[in-house]
Amino acid sequence: MAASGLAAPTRSEVLQLYRSLLRVARQLCDYNIREYTKRRTMDAFRDNKKLTDPCQLSAAFSDGKAQLEVAKRQAVVYSLYAPKVKSIMDVKPWN
Amino acid sequence: MASKLLLQTLTRRKPTTIIRRFSTAAAVATPPDYEDPSGITMKGVKISGRPLYLDMQATSPVDPRVLDAMLPYYLSRYGNPHSRTHLYGWESENAVETARAQVAALIGASPKEIIFTSGATESNNISVKGVMHFYKDKKRHVITTQTEHKCVLDSCRHLQQEGFEVTYLPVESDGLIDLDRLRKEIRPDTGLVSVMAVNNEIGVVQPMEEIGKICKEFNVPFHTDAAQALGKIKVEVDKWNVSLMSLSGHKIYGPKGIGALYMRRRPRIRVEPQMNGGGQERGIRSGTVPTPLVVGMGAACELAMKEMEYDERRIKSLQDRLLNGIREKIDGVVVNGSMERRYVGNLNLSFAYVEGESLLMGLKEVAVSSGSACTSASLEPSYVLRALGVDEDMAHTSIRFGIGRFTTEEEVDKAVELTVKQVVKLREMSPLYEMVKEGIDIKQIQWAQH
Repeated sequence: MAASGLAAPTRSEVLQLYRSLLRVARQLCDYNIREYTKRRTMDAFRDNKKLTDPCQLSAAFSDGKAQLEVAKRQAVVYSLYAPKVKSIMDVKPWN
Repeated sequence: MASKLLLQTLTRRKPTTIIRRFSTAAAVATPPDYEDPSGITMKGVKISGRPLYLDMQATSPVDPRVLDAMLPYYLSRYGNPHSRTHLYGWESENAVETARAQVAALIGASPKEIIFTSGATESNNISVKGVMHFYKDKKRHVITTQTEHKCVLDSCRHLQQEGFEVTYLPVESDGLIDLDRLRKEIRPDTGLVSVMAVNNEIGVVQPMEEIGKICKEFNVPFHTDAAQALGKIKVEVDKWNVSLMSLSGHKIYGPKGIGALYMRRRPRIRVEPQMNGGGQERGIRSGTVPTPLVVGMGAACELAMKEMEYDERRIKSLQDRLLNGIREKIDGVVVNGSMERRYVGNLNLSFAYVEGESLLMGLKEVAVSSGSACTSASLEPSYVLRALGVDEDMAHTSIRFGIGRFTTEEEVDKAVELTVKQVVKLREMSPLYEMVKEGIDIKQIQWAQH
Protein backbone atom coordinates (compact mmCIF):
# COMPACT_ATOMS: atom_id res chain seq x y z
CA MET A 1 0.00 0.00 0.00
CA ALA A 2 2.94 2.33 -0.60
CA ALA A 3 1.98 5.69 -2.12
CA SER A 4 3.62 4.89 -5.43
CA GLY A 5 4.64 8.11 -7.14
CA LEU A 6 2.42 10.25 -4.89
CA ALA A 7 4.91 12.49 -3.17
CA ALA A 8 3.79 14.54 -0.22
CA PRO A 9 2.66 18.04 -1.29
CA THR A 10 5.08 20.92 -0.83
CA ARG A 11 4.30 23.81 1.49
CA SER A 12 3.57 26.18 -1.37
CA GLU A 13 1.16 23.68 -2.97
CA VAL A 14 -0.74 23.38 0.29
CA LEU A 15 -0.91 27.15 0.68
CA GLN A 16 -2.08 27.53 -2.91
CA LEU A 17 -4.88 25.01 -2.31
CA TYR A 18 -5.89 26.83 0.87
CA ARG A 19 -6.04 30.19 -0.87
CA SER A 20 -7.97 28.75 -3.82
CA LEU A 21 -10.57 27.24 -1.51
CA LEU A 22 -11.05 30.52 0.33
CA ARG A 23 -11.26 32.41 -2.99
CA VAL A 24 -14.00 30.07 -4.24
CA ALA A 25 -15.79 30.44 -0.92
CA ARG A 26 -15.91 34.22 -1.39
CA GLN A 27 -17.69 33.75 -4.73
CA LEU A 28 -20.57 31.74 -3.27
CA CYS A 29 -23.73 33.78 -3.13
CA ASP A 30 -25.52 31.79 -0.44
CA TYR A 31 -24.62 33.13 3.02
CA ASN A 32 -24.73 29.81 4.90
CA ILE A 33 -22.78 27.83 2.30
CA ARG A 34 -20.16 30.59 2.02
CA GLU A 35 -19.57 30.76 5.76
CA TYR A 36 -19.50 26.96 6.01
CA THR A 37 -16.92 26.61 3.22
CA LYS A 38 -14.65 29.24 4.79
CA ARG A 39 -14.95 27.76 8.25
CA ARG A 40 -14.55 24.14 7.20
CA THR A 41 -11.47 24.95 5.10
CA MET A 42 -9.78 26.75 7.97
CA ASP A 43 -10.63 24.04 10.49
CA ALA A 44 -9.64 21.17 8.20
CA PHE A 45 -6.27 22.68 7.36
CA ARG A 46 -5.66 23.51 11.01
CA ASP A 47 -6.48 19.94 12.09
CA ASN A 48 -4.28 18.39 9.41
CA LYS A 49 -1.32 20.64 10.20
CA LYS A 50 0.01 17.99 12.57
CA LEU A 51 0.10 15.19 9.97
CA THR A 52 3.59 13.91 9.15
CA ASP A 53 3.06 10.58 7.34
CA PRO A 54 3.49 11.29 3.58
CA CYS A 55 0.76 8.74 2.70
CA GLN A 56 -1.77 10.57 4.86
CA LEU A 57 -0.54 13.96 3.68
CA SER A 58 -1.01 13.16 0.00
CA ALA A 59 -4.42 11.57 0.70
CA ALA A 60 -5.55 14.72 2.52
CA PHE A 61 -4.13 16.90 -0.26
CA SER A 62 -5.92 15.05 -3.04
CA ASP A 63 -9.10 15.09 -0.98
CA GLY A 64 -8.71 18.86 -0.69
CA LYS A 65 -8.22 19.20 -4.44
CA ALA A 66 -11.35 17.15 -5.13
CA GLN A 67 -13.31 19.38 -2.75
CA LEU A 68 -11.97 22.43 -4.60
CA GLU A 69 -13.37 21.09 -7.88
CA VAL A 70 -16.76 20.43 -6.24
CA ALA A 71 -16.77 23.93 -4.74
CA LYS A 72 -15.97 25.58 -8.10
CA ARG A 73 -18.82 23.74 -9.85
CA GLN A 74 -21.29 24.47 -7.07
CA ALA A 75 -20.35 28.15 -7.02
CA VAL A 76 -21.54 28.34 -10.64
CA VAL A 77 -24.73 26.34 -9.98
CA TYR A 78 -25.68 28.43 -6.96
CA SER A 79 -25.09 31.66 -8.86
CA LEU A 80 -27.33 30.51 -11.72
CA TYR A 81 -30.25 29.99 -9.36
CA ALA A 82 -29.52 32.70 -6.81
CA PRO A 83 -32.69 34.21 -5.34
CA LYS A 84 -33.13 37.92 -6.03
CA VAL A 85 -33.39 38.69 -2.35
CA LYS A 86 -30.39 37.60 -0.34
CA SER A 87 -30.34 36.11 3.12
CA ILE A 88 -31.11 38.67 5.79
CA MET A 89 -27.64 38.18 7.22
CA ASP A 90 -26.20 39.61 3.98
CA VAL A 91 -28.49 42.62 4.00
CA LYS A 92 -27.05 45.65 5.79
CA PRO A 93 -28.02 47.48 7.86
CA TRP A 94 -30.21 45.41 10.15
CA ASN A 95 -33.31 47.18 11.44
CA MET B 1 -30.52 32.12 -27.50
CA ALA B 2 -27.71 30.49 -25.54
CA SER B 3 -25.45 33.53 -25.84
CA LYS B 4 -28.30 35.80 -24.69
CA LEU B 5 -28.77 33.66 -21.59
CA LEU B 6 -25.03 33.68 -20.92
CA LEU B 7 -24.93 37.48 -21.28
CA GLN B 8 -27.79 37.83 -18.83
CA THR B 9 -26.11 35.56 -16.31
CA LEU B 10 -22.85 37.47 -16.56
CA THR B 11 -24.37 40.94 -16.31
CA ARG B 12 -26.97 39.81 -13.74
CA ARG B 13 -29.80 41.79 -15.22
CA LYS B 14 -33.36 40.93 -14.32
CA PRO B 15 -34.12 37.93 -16.57
CA THR B 16 -36.76 38.70 -19.19
CA THR B 17 -39.08 36.15 -20.65
CA ILE B 18 -37.52 35.02 -23.92
CA ILE B 19 -40.20 33.69 -26.27
CA ARG B 20 -39.36 33.36 -29.94
CA ARG B 21 -42.24 33.70 -32.36
CA PHE B 22 -43.61 30.35 -33.56
CA SER B 23 -41.54 28.59 -30.98
CA THR B 24 -42.98 25.83 -28.85
CA ALA B 25 -40.08 25.99 -26.40
CA ALA B 26 -40.87 26.82 -22.79
CA ALA B 27 -40.20 30.37 -21.63
CA VAL B 28 -37.32 31.09 -19.29
CA ALA B 29 -38.44 30.89 -15.68
CA THR B 30 -39.43 34.21 -14.12
CA PRO B 31 -38.69 34.83 -10.46
CA PRO B 32 -41.59 34.47 -8.00
CA ASP B 33 -43.89 37.49 -7.62
CA TYR B 34 -43.35 38.01 -3.93
CA GLU B 35 -39.69 38.98 -4.28
CA ASP B 36 -38.62 42.44 -5.30
CA PRO B 37 -35.25 44.09 -4.83
CA SER B 38 -36.28 45.81 -1.59
CA GLY B 39 -37.43 42.69 0.19
CA ILE B 40 -40.02 39.98 0.43
CA THR B 41 -43.73 40.51 1.04
CA MET B 42 -45.69 37.43 1.91
CA LYS B 43 -48.83 36.92 3.98
CA GLY B 44 -48.86 40.58 4.92
CA VAL B 45 -45.36 40.53 6.34
CA LYS B 46 -42.48 42.48 4.77
CA ILE B 47 -38.86 41.61 5.52
CA SER B 48 -35.73 42.85 3.85
CA GLY B 49 -34.08 39.50 3.25
CA ARG B 50 -34.63 35.77 3.47
CA PRO B 51 -35.06 34.74 7.12
CA LEU B 52 -32.28 32.94 8.91
CA TYR B 53 -33.06 29.26 9.07
CA LEU B 54 -33.25 27.62 12.50
CA ASP B 55 -35.69 24.80 11.76
CA MET B 56 -33.35 21.90 10.99
CA GLN B 57 -35.76 19.30 12.40
CA ALA B 58 -38.37 20.12 9.77
CA THR B 59 -35.88 19.75 6.95
CA SER B 60 -32.29 20.65 6.18
CA PRO B 61 -30.68 22.43 3.21
CA VAL B 62 -29.06 20.17 0.64
CA ASP B 63 -25.29 20.13 1.08
CA PRO B 64 -23.53 21.35 -2.11
CA ARG B 65 -21.40 18.19 -2.15
CA VAL B 66 -24.58 16.10 -2.22
CA LEU B 67 -26.02 18.19 -5.05
CA ASP B 68 -22.77 17.75 -6.94
CA ALA B 69 -23.10 13.98 -6.68
CA MET B 70 -26.76 14.03 -7.78
CA LEU B 71 -26.62 16.31 -10.84
CA PRO B 72 -24.94 13.92 -13.33
CA TYR B 73 -27.85 11.51 -12.77
CA TYR B 74 -30.32 14.18 -13.86
CA LEU B 75 -28.27 15.38 -16.81
CA SER B 76 -26.64 12.57 -18.75
CA ARG B 77 -26.82 9.37 -16.65
CA TYR B 78 -30.59 9.18 -16.58
CA GLY B 79 -31.05 5.43 -16.97
CA ASN B 80 -33.45 3.23 -15.05
CA PRO B 81 -31.42 1.04 -12.67
CA HIS B 82 -33.62 -1.95 -13.51
CA SER B 83 -32.81 -1.84 -17.23
CA ARG B 84 -30.49 -4.76 -17.71
CA THR B 85 -29.62 -4.42 -21.37
CA HIS B 86 -27.65 -1.20 -21.83
CA LEU B 87 -25.03 1.10 -20.32
CA TYR B 88 -27.59 3.56 -18.93
CA GLY B 89 -29.12 0.83 -16.78
CA TRP B 90 -25.78 -0.63 -15.70
CA GLU B 91 -24.27 2.67 -14.58
CA SER B 92 -27.49 3.59 -12.79
CA GLU B 93 -27.53 0.25 -11.00
CA ASN B 94 -23.89 0.71 -9.97
CA ALA B 95 -24.72 4.10 -8.51
CA VAL B 96 -27.66 2.65 -6.54
CA GLU B 97 -25.53 -0.16 -5.13
CA THR B 98 -22.75 2.26 -4.14
CA ALA B 99 -25.28 4.43 -2.37
CA ARG B 100 -26.74 1.39 -0.62
CA ALA B 101 -23.30 0.51 0.71
CA GLN B 102 -22.77 4.10 1.90
CA VAL B 103 -26.06 4.10 3.84
CA ALA B 104 -25.30 0.67 5.32
CA ALA B 105 -21.84 1.77 6.44
CA LEU B 106 -23.28 4.64 8.45
CA ILE B 107 -25.53 2.38 10.53
CA GLY B 108 -23.24 -0.63 10.79
CA ALA B 109 -25.33 -2.91 8.59
CA SER B 110 -24.79 -4.91 5.43
CA PRO B 111 -25.94 -3.43 2.08
CA LYS B 112 -28.28 -6.38 1.55
CA GLU B 113 -30.35 -5.19 4.51
CA ILE B 114 -31.19 -1.73 3.11
CA ILE B 115 -34.39 -1.06 1.14
CA PHE B 116 -34.93 2.36 -0.43
CA THR B 117 -38.35 3.93 0.08
CA SER B 118 -39.88 7.34 -0.49
CA GLY B 119 -39.16 8.55 3.02
CA ALA B 120 -39.26 7.71 6.69
CA THR B 121 -43.08 7.87 6.70
CA GLU B 122 -43.28 5.08 4.13
CA SER B 123 -40.63 3.08 6.00
CA ASN B 124 -42.62 3.45 9.23
CA ASN B 125 -45.78 2.31 7.48
CA ILE B 126 -44.05 -0.75 6.03
CA SER B 127 -42.54 -1.62 9.41
CA VAL B 128 -45.60 -1.24 11.60
CA LYS B 129 -48.37 -2.43 9.30
CA GLY B 130 -46.21 -4.84 7.29
CA VAL B 131 -44.83 -6.74 10.30
CA MET B 132 -48.16 -7.05 12.05
CA HIS B 133 -50.00 -8.16 8.92
CA PHE B 134 -47.34 -10.80 8.26
CA TYR B 135 -47.48 -12.28 11.76
CA LYS B 136 -51.19 -11.63 12.30
CA ASP B 137 -52.04 -15.21 13.24
CA LYS B 138 -49.76 -15.40 16.25
CA LYS B 139 -49.05 -11.79 17.25
CA ARG B 140 -51.83 -9.31 18.03
CA HIS B 141 -50.16 -6.69 20.25
CA VAL B 142 -48.00 -3.63 19.52
CA ILE B 143 -46.17 -1.44 22.02
CA THR B 144 -45.25 2.12 21.16
CA THR B 145 -44.86 5.44 22.99
CA GLN B 146 -47.06 8.52 23.23
CA THR B 147 -44.37 10.76 21.75
CA GLU B 148 -43.90 8.92 18.46
CA HIS B 149 -44.15 10.57 15.06
CA LYS B 150 -47.66 10.98 13.66
CA CYS B 151 -47.11 8.33 10.96
CA VAL B 152 -46.36 5.62 13.54
CA LEU B 153 -49.31 6.64 15.73
CA ASP B 154 -51.62 6.74 12.73
CA SER B 155 -50.46 3.31 11.55
CA CYS B 156 -51.12 1.95 15.04
CA ARG B 157 -54.59 3.50 15.03
CA HIS B 158 -55.23 1.81 11.67
CA LEU B 159 -54.13 -1.51 13.21
CA GLN B 160 -56.46 -0.93 16.14
CA GLN B 161 -59.36 -0.52 13.73
CA GLU B 162 -58.41 -3.86 12.21
CA GLY B 163 -58.59 -5.54 15.62
CA PHE B 164 -55.02 -5.48 16.93
CA GLU B 165 -54.25 -4.17 20.41
CA VAL B 166 -51.88 -1.27 20.91
CA THR B 167 -50.26 -0.06 24.13
CA TYR B 168 -49.10 3.56 24.14
CA LEU B 169 -46.38 3.86 26.79
CA PRO B 170 -46.43 7.13 28.71
CA VAL B 171 -43.24 9.16 29.11
CA GLU B 172 -41.79 10.81 32.17
CA SER B 173 -41.60 14.59 32.41
CA ASP B 174 -38.13 14.52 30.85
CA GLY B 175 -39.37 12.66 27.77
CA LEU B 176 -37.81 9.25 28.46
CA ILE B 177 -39.83 6.06 28.77
CA ASP B 178 -39.87 3.93 31.89
CA LEU B 179 -38.05 0.67 31.14
CA ASP B 180 -39.77 -1.32 33.89
CA ARG B 181 -43.13 -0.28 32.51
CA LEU B 182 -42.05 -1.50 29.08
CA ARG B 183 -40.92 -4.80 30.55
CA LYS B 184 -44.28 -5.25 32.26
CA GLU B 185 -46.28 -4.46 29.12
CA ILE B 186 -44.58 -7.10 26.92
CA ARG B 187 -46.90 -10.06 26.45
CA PRO B 188 -46.40 -13.42 24.71
CA ASP B 189 -48.37 -12.14 21.73
CA THR B 190 -46.45 -8.84 21.35
CA GLY B 191 -45.43 -8.54 17.72
CA LEU B 192 -43.52 -5.23 17.68
CA VAL B 193 -42.00 -2.59 19.95
CA SER B 194 -41.61 0.77 18.24
CA VAL B 195 -39.67 3.57 19.95
CA MET B 196 -38.13 6.51 18.10
CA ALA B 197 -34.46 7.14 18.71
CA VAL B 198 -34.42 10.96 18.74
CA ASN B 199 -37.68 12.83 19.12
CA ASN B 200 -38.27 15.43 16.44
CA GLU B 201 -40.00 17.93 18.74
CA ILE B 202 -38.02 17.86 21.97
CA GLY B 203 -34.78 16.23 20.84
CA VAL B 204 -34.69 13.62 23.59
CA VAL B 205 -32.60 10.48 22.96
CA GLN B 206 -34.27 7.32 24.26
CA PRO B 207 -32.17 4.59 25.98
CA MET B 208 -31.93 2.47 22.83
CA GLU B 209 -29.43 -0.13 24.09
CA GLU B 210 -31.50 -0.94 27.18
CA ILE B 211 -34.71 -1.23 25.16
CA GLY B 212 -32.87 -3.46 22.68
CA LYS B 213 -31.73 -5.71 25.52
CA ILE B 214 -35.27 -6.06 26.85
CA CYS B 215 -36.59 -6.88 23.39
CA LYS B 216 -33.87 -9.48 22.86
CA GLU B 217 -34.72 -11.05 26.21
CA PHE B 218 -38.36 -11.48 25.26
CA ASN B 219 -37.56 -12.12 21.56
CA VAL B 220 -39.77 -9.26 20.30
CA PRO B 221 -38.88 -7.39 17.09
CA PHE B 222 -37.69 -3.85 17.80
CA HIS B 223 -38.46 -1.07 15.33
CA THR B 224 -37.07 2.42 15.64
CA ASP B 225 -37.69 5.61 13.69
CA ALA B 226 -34.15 6.94 13.33
CA ALA B 227 -34.96 9.76 10.90
CA GLN B 228 -33.70 12.45 13.28
CA ALA B 229 -30.91 10.30 14.70
CA LEU B 230 -29.12 9.28 11.50
CA GLY B 231 -25.83 11.03 11.04
CA LYS B 232 -26.25 12.94 14.29
CA ILE B 233 -25.69 10.35 17.01
CA LYS B 234 -23.87 7.05 16.66
CA VAL B 235 -26.37 4.52 15.25
CA GLU B 236 -25.33 0.85 15.46
CA VAL B 237 -27.93 -1.73 14.63
CA ASP B 238 -26.10 -4.55 16.41
CA LYS B 239 -25.54 -2.66 19.63
CA TRP B 240 -29.12 -1.45 19.69
CA ASN B 241 -30.46 -4.85 18.59
CA VAL B 242 -32.97 -3.31 16.18
CA SER B 243 -34.77 -5.45 13.63
CA LEU B 244 -36.21 -2.55 11.62
CA MET B 245 -35.07 1.04 11.28
CA SER B 246 -36.58 3.92 9.31
CA LEU B 247 -34.20 6.46 7.79
CA SER B 248 -34.88 9.73 6.04
CA GLY B 249 -32.80 11.57 3.47
CA HIS B 250 -33.81 15.18 3.93
CA LYS B 251 -32.87 15.39 7.62
CA ILE B 252 -29.17 14.74 6.91
CA TYR B 253 -28.64 17.41 4.24
CA GLY B 254 -29.85 15.15 1.44
CA PRO B 255 -32.72 15.46 -1.04
CA LYS B 256 -36.40 15.24 -0.14
CA GLY B 257 -38.46 12.29 -1.29
CA ILE B 258 -36.07 9.50 -0.34
CA GLY B 259 -35.66 7.32 2.70
CA ALA B 260 -34.53 3.85 3.58
CA LEU B 261 -35.64 0.92 5.67
CA TYR B 262 -33.18 -1.34 7.43
CA MET B 263 -34.42 -4.92 7.79
CA ARG B 264 -32.34 -7.37 9.75
CA ARG B 265 -31.37 -10.63 8.05
CA ARG B 266 -30.13 -12.59 11.05
CA PRO B 267 -32.61 -13.35 12.58
CA ARG B 268 -34.73 -12.58 9.53
CA ILE B 269 -37.72 -10.30 9.98
CA ARG B 270 -40.47 -10.63 7.39
CA VAL B 271 -42.93 -7.94 6.30
CA GLU B 272 -45.91 -7.84 4.01
CA PRO B 273 -45.20 -5.33 1.22
CA GLN B 274 -47.41 -2.23 1.04
CA MET B 275 -46.49 -1.44 -2.58
CA ASN B 276 -47.13 -4.26 -5.04
CA GLY B 277 -45.57 -4.28 -8.47
CA GLY B 278 -42.51 -5.50 -10.32
CA GLY B 279 -40.69 -6.91 -7.29
CA GLN B 280 -37.96 -4.27 -7.05
CA GLU B 281 -36.08 -3.86 -3.76
CA ARG B 282 -36.46 -7.55 -2.87
CA GLY B 283 -40.23 -7.38 -3.37
CA ILE B 284 -40.61 -5.22 -0.26
CA ARG B 285 -41.03 -1.94 -2.15
CA SER B 286 -41.85 -2.17 -5.84
CA GLY B 287 -41.36 0.79 -8.10
CA THR B 288 -38.44 2.32 -9.99
CA VAL B 289 -35.68 3.29 -7.63
CA PRO B 290 -35.04 7.06 -8.15
CA THR B 291 -31.32 7.03 -8.92
CA PRO B 292 -30.50 10.72 -8.37
CA LEU B 293 -32.28 10.78 -5.00
CA VAL B 294 -30.66 7.55 -3.92
CA VAL B 295 -27.22 8.81 -4.94
CA GLY B 296 -27.92 11.98 -2.99
CA MET B 297 -28.87 10.05 0.13
CA GLY B 298 -25.75 7.89 -0.17
CA ALA B 299 -23.51 10.93 -0.56
CA ALA B 300 -25.23 12.57 2.42
CA CYS B 301 -24.64 9.48 4.56
CA GLU B 302 -20.98 9.31 3.60
CA LEU B 303 -20.55 12.99 4.43
CA ALA B 304 -22.36 12.49 7.74
CA MET B 305 -19.96 9.73 8.68
CA LYS B 306 -16.95 11.94 7.97
CA GLU B 307 -18.34 15.10 9.55
CA MET B 308 -20.27 13.73 12.55
CA GLU B 309 -17.67 14.52 15.17
CA TYR B 310 -16.86 17.99 13.84
CA ASP B 311 -20.55 18.88 13.49
CA GLU B 312 -21.43 17.66 16.95
CA ARG B 313 -18.69 19.69 18.61
CA ARG B 314 -19.77 22.82 16.77
CA ILE B 315 -23.48 22.37 17.29
CA LYS B 316 -22.96 21.73 21.01
CA SER B 317 -21.14 25.05 21.39
CA LEU B 318 -23.85 26.82 19.37
CA GLN B 319 -26.58 25.29 21.53
CA ASP B 320 -24.83 26.50 24.70
CA ARG B 321 -24.45 29.93 23.14
CA LEU B 322 -28.16 30.07 22.28
CA LEU B 323 -29.42 28.84 25.63
CA ASN B 324 -27.06 30.91 27.76
CA GLY B 325 -27.66 33.96 25.61
CA ILE B 326 -31.41 33.74 26.15
CA ARG B 327 -31.19 32.80 29.83
CA GLU B 328 -28.88 35.73 30.62
CA LYS B 329 -31.38 38.29 29.41
CA ILE B 330 -34.76 36.84 30.45
CA ASP B 331 -36.08 34.51 33.10
CA GLY B 332 -39.01 32.13 32.98
CA VAL B 333 -37.42 30.04 30.22
CA VAL B 334 -38.06 26.29 30.46
CA VAL B 335 -36.33 23.65 28.36
CA ASN B 336 -38.77 20.90 27.39
CA GLY B 337 -37.25 17.46 27.68
CA SER B 338 -34.20 16.06 29.42
CA MET B 339 -31.05 18.20 29.14
CA GLU B 340 -28.69 15.25 29.64
CA ARG B 341 -30.09 12.77 27.15
CA ARG B 342 -30.62 15.13 24.27
CA TYR B 343 -29.46 15.64 20.73
CA VAL B 344 -27.56 18.92 20.76
CA GLY B 345 -29.12 20.45 17.65
CA ASN B 346 -32.67 20.53 18.99
CA LEU B 347 -33.68 23.09 21.60
CA ASN B 348 -37.35 23.33 22.56
CA LEU B 349 -37.98 26.29 24.86
CA SER B 350 -41.14 27.50 26.58
CA PHE B 351 -41.37 31.14 27.60
CA ALA B 352 -43.67 31.79 30.55
CA TYR B 353 -46.37 34.50 30.34
CA VAL B 354 -45.98 34.87 26.58
CA GLU B 355 -48.41 33.74 23.90
CA GLY B 356 -46.84 31.43 21.32
CA GLU B 357 -48.58 32.59 18.14
CA SER B 358 -47.78 36.25 18.79
CA LEU B 359 -44.18 35.37 19.58
CA LEU B 360 -43.85 33.53 16.28
CA MET B 361 -45.52 36.39 14.37
CA GLY B 362 -43.00 38.78 15.87
CA LEU B 363 -40.02 36.58 14.99
CA LYS B 364 -40.45 37.12 11.28
CA GLU B 365 -36.74 37.28 10.45
CA VAL B 366 -36.08 33.91 12.08
CA ALA B 367 -37.47 30.69 10.64
CA VAL B 368 -38.38 28.57 13.67
CA SER B 369 -41.34 26.42 14.44
CA SER B 370 -43.55 25.72 17.39
CA GLY B 371 -44.67 22.14 17.58
CA SER B 372 -43.69 19.95 14.67
CA ALA B 373 -44.33 20.79 11.02
CA CYS B 374 -46.80 17.91 10.76
CA THR B 375 -49.08 19.25 13.46
CA SER B 376 -48.71 22.98 12.95
CA ALA B 377 -51.87 23.22 10.84
CA SER B 378 -54.10 22.60 13.85
CA LEU B 379 -54.42 24.98 16.78
CA GLU B 380 -54.00 22.30 19.41
CA PRO B 381 -50.83 22.34 21.47
CA SER B 382 -48.44 19.60 20.50
CA TYR B 383 -49.34 16.11 21.73
CA VAL B 384 -45.70 15.47 22.58
CA LEU B 385 -45.63 18.34 25.06
CA ARG B 386 -48.95 17.22 26.46
CA ALA B 387 -47.49 13.74 26.99
CA LEU B 388 -44.59 15.32 28.89
CA GLY B 389 -47.11 16.82 31.28
CA VAL B 390 -46.39 20.43 30.34
CA ASP B 391 -49.17 22.88 31.30
CA GLU B 392 -51.45 24.11 28.49
CA ASP B 393 -50.20 27.69 28.64
CA MET B 394 -46.52 26.65 28.55
CA ALA B 395 -47.20 24.15 25.76
CA HIS B 396 -48.72 26.91 23.65
CA THR B 397 -45.66 29.11 23.95
CA SER B 398 -43.03 26.54 23.00
CA ILE B 399 -40.55 27.32 20.26
CA ARG B 400 -38.26 24.75 18.68
CA PHE B 401 -34.82 26.00 17.59
CA GLY B 402 -33.02 23.65 15.22
CA ILE B 403 -29.28 24.14 14.80
CA GLY B 404 -27.39 22.42 12.00
CA ARG B 405 -24.16 22.14 10.06
CA PHE B 406 -24.61 25.44 8.27
CA THR B 407 -25.69 27.60 11.22
CA THR B 408 -23.24 30.37 12.10
CA GLU B 409 -22.46 32.09 15.38
CA GLU B 410 -23.79 35.39 14.02
CA GLU B 411 -27.13 33.74 13.20
CA VAL B 412 -27.40 32.36 16.73
CA ASP B 413 -26.59 35.77 18.23
CA LYS B 414 -29.15 37.43 15.96
CA ALA B 415 -31.78 34.85 16.93
CA VAL B 416 -31.06 35.41 20.63
CA GLU B 417 -31.35 39.18 20.21
CA LEU B 418 -34.64 38.99 18.30
CA THR B 419 -36.21 36.42 20.64
CA VAL B 420 -35.29 38.38 23.76
CA LYS B 421 -36.59 41.63 22.26
CA GLN B 422 -39.88 40.03 21.28
CA VAL B 423 -40.41 38.24 24.60
CA VAL B 424 -39.69 41.40 26.60
CA LYS B 425 -42.07 43.41 24.41
CA LEU B 426 -44.87 40.86 24.80
CA ARG B 427 -44.35 40.53 28.54
CA GLU B 428 -44.52 44.30 29.02
CA MET B 429 -47.93 44.26 27.35
CA SER B 430 -49.13 41.32 29.41
CA PRO B 431 -51.33 41.99 32.46
CA LEU B 432 -50.60 38.46 33.73
CA TYR B 433 -46.91 39.27 33.93
CA GLU B 434 -47.67 42.44 35.88
CA MET B 435 -49.59 40.39 38.42
CA VAL B 436 -46.72 37.92 38.69
CA LYS B 437 -44.24 40.73 39.25
CA GLU B 438 -46.42 42.01 42.08
CA GLY B 439 -46.13 38.58 43.65
CA ILE B 440 -49.62 37.18 42.94
CA ASP B 441 -49.66 33.44 42.25
CA ILE B 442 -51.62 33.03 39.01
CA LYS B 443 -52.73 29.49 39.75
CA GLN B 444 -54.57 30.59 42.89
CA ILE B 445 -56.73 33.20 41.18
CA GLN B 446 -60.45 32.51 41.09
CA TRP B 447 -61.47 33.89 37.72
CA ALA B 448 -64.92 35.51 37.98
CA GLN B 449 -67.34 34.41 35.31
CA HIS B 450 -68.88 37.15 33.18
